[in-house]
Amino acid sequence: MKPAPFEYHAPESAADVVALLAEHADECKVLAGGQSLVPMLALRLTRFEHIVDLNRVDELAGITRTNGSLRVGAMTRQRAVERDPGVATVVPLLAAAVPCIGHTQIRNRGTIGGSLAHADPASELPAVALALGAELEIASATATRRVPAGEFFEGTWTTCLADEELLVAVHFPVWEGRCGFAFEEVARRSGDFALAGVATALEVDDDGLVQRSALGLLGMGGTPLRASAAEAAMVGRAPDASDLDEIAMLAVRDLDPPDDVHASSTYRKRVGAHLVRRTLTRALEEAGRS
Amino acid sequence: MTATEHTAGRFVGQSIKRREDPRLLTGAGSYVDDVVLPGMLHASFVRSDLARARITRIDVEAARALPGVHAVLIAADLNPGAGSRQPSMFQGDAVPSPCAPVPLLADADVRFVGDPVAIVIAQSRYLAEDGCELVEVEYDELPPIIDAELAITETEHLVHPELGSNVAMSVPTPADPTLDEIFASAAHVVRETLVQHRHTNVPMETRGVVAGYEPASGELEVSLSTQNPHEARQVCSRLTGVPEHRVRVVGADVGGGFGQKFFLGRDEQIVVAAAVKIGRVLKWIEDRRENLIASNHARADRITVEMAVDAEGHLLAARLDHLEDCGAYPVGGTGGVGPFVAMLFPGPYRLGRLGFVSTAVWTNTCGRGAYRGPWMLETVAREEMLDLVARAIGMDPLELRRRNVIRADELPFTTAMGMELDHITPAETLEQAVEIIGYDAFRAEQRVAFEQRGTLLGIGIGLYVEPTSMGSGSLGVETATVRVQPSGTVTVMLGTGSHGQGVETTMAQVVAEHLGVAIDDVVVVQGDTASSPFGGGTGGSRTAVVAGGATREASIEVRHKAVEIAAHLLEAAPEDLEVEDGRVFVRGTPTRGVEMSEIARVAYNSPAELPEGVAPSLEATVSYQAPPITWSNACHACTVEVDPDTGLVKVLRYVVSEDCGVMINPMIVEGQIAGGVAQGIGGVLYEHLVYDEYGTPLTTTFLDYLVPTATEVPVIEYGHVETRSPTPGGHKGMGEGGAIGSPPAVFNAVADALALRGAKVTAQPLTPTRILDALDAT
Amino acid sequence: MTEHAICVVVNGEQRRLRVEARRTLADVIREDCALTGTHLGCEHGVCGACTVIVDGEAVRSCLMFAVQADGADIVTVEGLGGPDGTLSSVQDAFREEHGLQCGFCTPGFVVTVTQLLRENPDPTDDEIREGISGNLCRCTGYQGIVRAVRRASEAPGPDRPDRPGPPGPEGTR
Repeated sequence: MKPAPFEYHAPESAADVVALLAEHADECKVLAGGQSLVPMLALRLTRFEHIVDLNRVDELAGITRTNGSLRVGAMTRQRAVERDPGVATVVPLLAAAVPCIGHTQIRNRGTIGGSLAHADPASELPAVALALGAELEIASATATRRVPAGEFFEGTWTTCLADEELLVAVHFPVWEGRCGFAFEEVARRSGDFALAGVATALEVDDDGLVQRSALGLLGMGGTPLRASAAEAAMVGRAPDASDLDEIAMLAVRDLDPPDDVHASSTYRKRVGAHLVRRTLTRALEEAGRS
Repeated sequence: MTATEHTAGRFVGQSIKRREDPRLLTGAGSYVDDVVLPGMLHASFVRSDLARARITRIDVEAARALPGVHAVLIAADLNPGAGSRQPSMFQGDAVPSPCAPVPLLADADVRFVGDPVAIVIAQSRYLAEDGCELVEVEYDELPPIIDAELAITETEHLVHPELGSNVAMSVPTPADPTLDEIFASAAHVVRETLVQHRHTNVPMETRGVVAGYEPASGELEVSLSTQNPHEARQVCSRLTGVPEHRVRVVGADVGGGFGQKFFLGRDEQIVVAAAVKIGRVLKWIEDRRENLIASNHARADRITVEMAVDAEGHLLAARLDHLEDCGAYPVGGTGGVGPFVAMLFPGPYRLGRLGFVSTAVWTNTCGRGAYRGPWMLETVAREEMLDLVARAIGMDPLELRRRNVIRADELPFTTAMGMELDHITPAETLEQAVEIIGYDAFRAEQRVAFEQRGTLLGIGIGLYVEPTSMGSGSLGVETATVRVQPSGTVTVMLGTGSHGQGVETTMAQVVAEHLGVAIDDVVVVQGDTASSPFGGGTGGSRTAVVAGGATREASIEVRHKAVEIAAHLLEAAPEDLEVEDGRVFVRGTPTRGVEMSEIARVAYNSPAELPEGVAPSLEATVSYQAPPITWSNACHACTVEVDPDTGLVKVLRYVVSEDCGVMINPMIVEGQIAGGVAQGIGGVLYEHLVYDEYGTPLTTTFLDYLVPTATEVPVIEYGHVETRSPTPGGHKGMGEGGAIGSPPAVFNAVADALALRGAKVTAQPLTPTRILDALDAT
Repeated sequence: MTEHAICVVVNGEQRRLRVEARRTLADVIREDCALTGTHLGCEHGVCGACTVIVDGEAVRSCLMFAVQADGADIVTVEGLGGPDGTLSSVQDAFREEHGLQCGFCTPGFVVTVTQLLRENPDPTDDEIREGISGNLCRCTGYQGIVRAVRRASEAPGPDRPDRPGPPGPEGTR
């Protein structure tokens, strides 16, 4: 199972990367951690004339705290995020989700940006980015732009990134106030792609009423999804157990999750609702305690 | 490890650490892909992506023209003149009828996705795959036969038109009014249709071969990932026409097989034929996708079981209707295992009478092959059925088994199918397993947990007898040469094909024990037809009995001669001599003795000192023929927790109580069981080979074919019972057993948990979706 | 296709190689460095048989291109024990606990476990199983492997995981 031939480029600056992307456009693919791309190349499910290796572009890696958000460079290794105690403090939902990605060996090479740009609807980071309202920092040879997560994911393995664009960093907003976060997924075996998963973030006011809530769903559709109706139904309330049952059903009611060899569509909806209920319970509890 | 009295000699019976390990742990093993020879070329296959189609055009010119490509061969280049592709057991009159008409490369049509259509030979695998992409093939698609049930009645679309039917075999037992009467008058009749799904061996090392043909010498040398070098040698010779004495097959280190590598696969045959045709050294290493779609599949069975039971739960009779999916090109020895399933169905129970109809069909899918206990459906069906019967009649499944299991005082016992069972201990292993797992305490815990918290705990049993070391044809024979070198060290040559069973260790233990030398002075040579006597390879749970038997007998013969020589040198009577640690000495007077090295020196270098009538050299070659069947048995017991919200299953505890007679190496016995158990857990809960309705495989990588990891397999607890077999050394085979008893134990445990909610399952795999669907249906 | 000159240190030895970009690190280690202990079980990053240590991290060498390893420090299974064949404490533990049968997955496990214990010298049972869940074995049912990790984690010595183990016990030859 060997890849088709390609020309290999190893630029050392983001400027050089985008110049190559501008030159080669759709004949070109960036190589980040390789944990998703290389299997596809090996299976010859995809091929490119040019591969642009991002692993020597040091400026693309790194975690910095900026005003109200955590900026994570696209080439930051998942393992680095996992090990960073600062991340657990300022963006707990990200810290909770990263250990669920595959296995140690995968996270040693896999990157935050790579996972987001690969946009597998059953993967963890897109749902987290969506739930938190993260912003994706994108550059090309001619321009830079910021795209909210809600506009970034367009379809299965498809984002709004144009051929000549590079995902440079992701900005995760830091939620202040009385907040609670929970991430849960159901997979066949430890480390597998999720059959269904939920990334939950909530903020409550001093009376315990929900101020804002975010439910990012993975494995429940062609892209990561926000359960907007369910989120709206929570605002201004202090939901009890039976409210949560209702909200969980609302979260999945209009969804049409995939049907495949691993799980049926019905299964995913059912388990999705179950995880919504579970994560909301935990997040409310955490928010209430804070 | 708990044990009833267990034989422990100085070496046999000890958990001696393996001599294979140092090289394997340090990366110094020699697997087929490690073989690198000068001028070696690499092969890759063009395979059909349609399940059934006529080939209308094939153009290899672009591929041939690619720089680095040495040759591209299609059926017209390779197939003419090819000898038999069938294994030795199917030669001459033994060819089963009908036999799938397998060509080398697909010729006029393709009959499953993965069917090899062309072979590209290039300077590297990378280039060979580039070449494959340039081969143009056009097909006329035909409707494929994918559903085994539909295959039976489908008369227009035939997998093998030349055979005239999609039914490969149909074996019904004759009408039996007595059986009908038993059913008509029984207190209870339970009927269920059980499905075991398609899954497969998945050795961690895929198949592979390096075949080199030197036209000048007419020699064919093959490095092969194989369980059976001598069998492969014979097939290579018949296939290519290179006489057997000019063919050498070497299986050095082999990365697992579980039956997949017992016969020489079709793809490997193509590579060997290609190597002879081009007169070069040619390597082909199967990739994982090929392994999952085109090596062999297994276990795709549907069986309807009817059981007649009296008011006290005694098993009066059973009827079976078994449908076996053989795929398009089954790999030697299977496809047609149905009657054997029926014959073994009674298992270790007092089942009165049995009738069956066994049907095997061809389908346009990957061919069925041998997978660890190829007949094991009998245990799956019987053990699952017993639990279903128990629940139907309101009896605990353990109690039902206790009422029907064959007891020691009933041996030898002739089953409803006329098989004689002896030297087995199913009742004892049943009791030991349930004691270790704490069956009664678990039932109490199960009840409380369900009533108080709605928790779904379940317990399941799988009790079976295993027909090991079957002595039919060449499989019943093994030949061992035990040779003492002039220095007194020992080499053992065996025709086995070890691939994880530790034959280099266990057979050294047998020699050390019976020849009386230090184990460090023994080396086992196997896997190479040039240096080993003809043998039946490793598989079919035959090594301990057959290879062990031959090795033991040969060792004893050498010992006898060594003692004879020593007696002469010491001027003592042979009956007064002991042999230990490579020294022969007078019993009671150890200082009066002679080293094996001295005996060997005399035997080889100073034959004048030999006693009268004793020929020079110090070695023996003994062929041992095993009896038709050597039975072993075991009981698996398993507890699980089923999550009612997600359908995920956690295996809590797993217990195996086994009786394989005298264990040569208990550590290795437990290891073999453990691997089989993991395959059973994988088979029931995770692994599934799926085709869509067009015959396109959907599970073609490890991303979709889920093999259990360390987080899915709990600690396995063992109990040992030892009942000597009547074969030399008292050993029994057991290598396949772990994979026989585990699927029903796991299945039954999950079914037991679901039964708390009145939910029922009869089909595998027990995926989370299937489990939630079953709970929803209540 | 273009060949790239790379310089890698493999098991302490510097190597200068010329590699086509699409050749995986696994293939180059096996073929160009003639270190065949690293095995290919799937070539799509699931089975872990190809695990090596690159710049101190355990990675799947089938998912890296050799050209990406220019300047890297690589350790393969061949680099773990002593040059005279003595086993490291992890290798020795695998032998003691029957953590291997056919041996094909073994180098991947040994490398993974060596790195696991460097990072987490005293893992819980769950951490052990989680830590090796990225490696597949088909022969052992993981029984001896889990025991081996436990044993290696309890082996004495300041530099446990890659300290050469005791001289081979009886029957090492």
